[in-house]
Amino acid sequence: MSNLKNYKQKMERQEILDGLLEVLRTVRTIDPARLEGVTEETDFLTDLSTPSTELINIAAKVEHKFDIEFEDDDIDRMGSKVKDIIDLIIMVKERGENQ
Amino acid sequence: MKDHEVPAHIAEVINKTTDEERAAYLDIVQNGNLVNTRPEQLLLHGPTKRYVDEYLWHSPKVGIVASYSPKERDVQDHFGIFRGVDQVEAFAQATIVSCATFLECRKHNCLPDVLKDKFIPAFISIGNVNFHNYAEAGDTLISLGNIKFYKWRQMVCDGRIYKVPERFDLKEYFEDFNEERLLKYDISKEFKLVAELFDITGRAILIEQFKKL
Repeated sequence: MSNLKNYKQKMERQEILDGLLEVLRTVRTIDPARLEGVTEETDFLTDLSTPSTELINIAAKVEHKFDIEFEDDDIDRMGSKVKDIIDLIIMVKERGENQ
Repeated sequence: MKDHEVPAHIAEVINKTTDEERAAYLDIVQNGNLVNTRPEQLLLHGPTKRYVDEYLWHSPKVGIVASYSPKERDVQDHFGIFRGVDQVEAFAQATIVSCATFLECRKHNCLPDVLKDKFIPAFISIGNVNFHNYAEAGDTLISLGNIKFYKWRQMVCDGRIYKVPERFDLKEYFEDFNEERLLKYDISKEFKLVAELFDITGRAILIEQFKKL
């Protein structure tokens, strides 16, 4: 049972990562070549050389892509790694379902 | 004075503000705009680095027009000229700081002094600026800014700075201004273009995060 749950969670994270990569391919300040080896540990600022200002634009595109809505606090707490964004998307999706 | 503490001269203004005045200002925040309000009620820094004299036109979700006349102290040690970097600062104060503070106050139904305890307004980026002219002490500049993006306390504005002709009644001129004219920079040819500004971006950063930077 626990294995099934883990599998589902892993699949969900992979689907979100795939969706996130689609978003990142539309961000003009990110070199598409750098997106080839992106993992959850990839850091937007240090690994992808994304300007910090771009994170807000990425967050806006992520909202649209995943049909979710971030609060000010979500953005304040958002880290700069891919896994931070994935965690945030999952958290906000769950929050929406609970409401 | 501790970091980010309200300066004494501002605290004096706030403390002297009566409950009635605060209620009236809250009503403006919820239902009105910045025209006829005093910049020092919104821009709680200064006075020497406050580069807004008057709000002339304001549509809270669209944009703003505000004026500033450089003082002698603003041009000192700089050929008698108001520095380009200060023009950008003046534009940012008139647009992203004023407009975003106003909208945040509206969102939280509070006055700017409440926000000042939580956030620091910070420049995030300056996209591009083209300078066309200059300003001396005594000239009057107007900033026309339109809001391109506002979310999560981050605002992006484009706009222009113009030099105002002498003996020009700005209040009267902008009384019937509107959003369409703002977006087209549809103003009299008597105004001289001083600068075009693109993607001027600022964000109200939580004080605790600001201290970690």
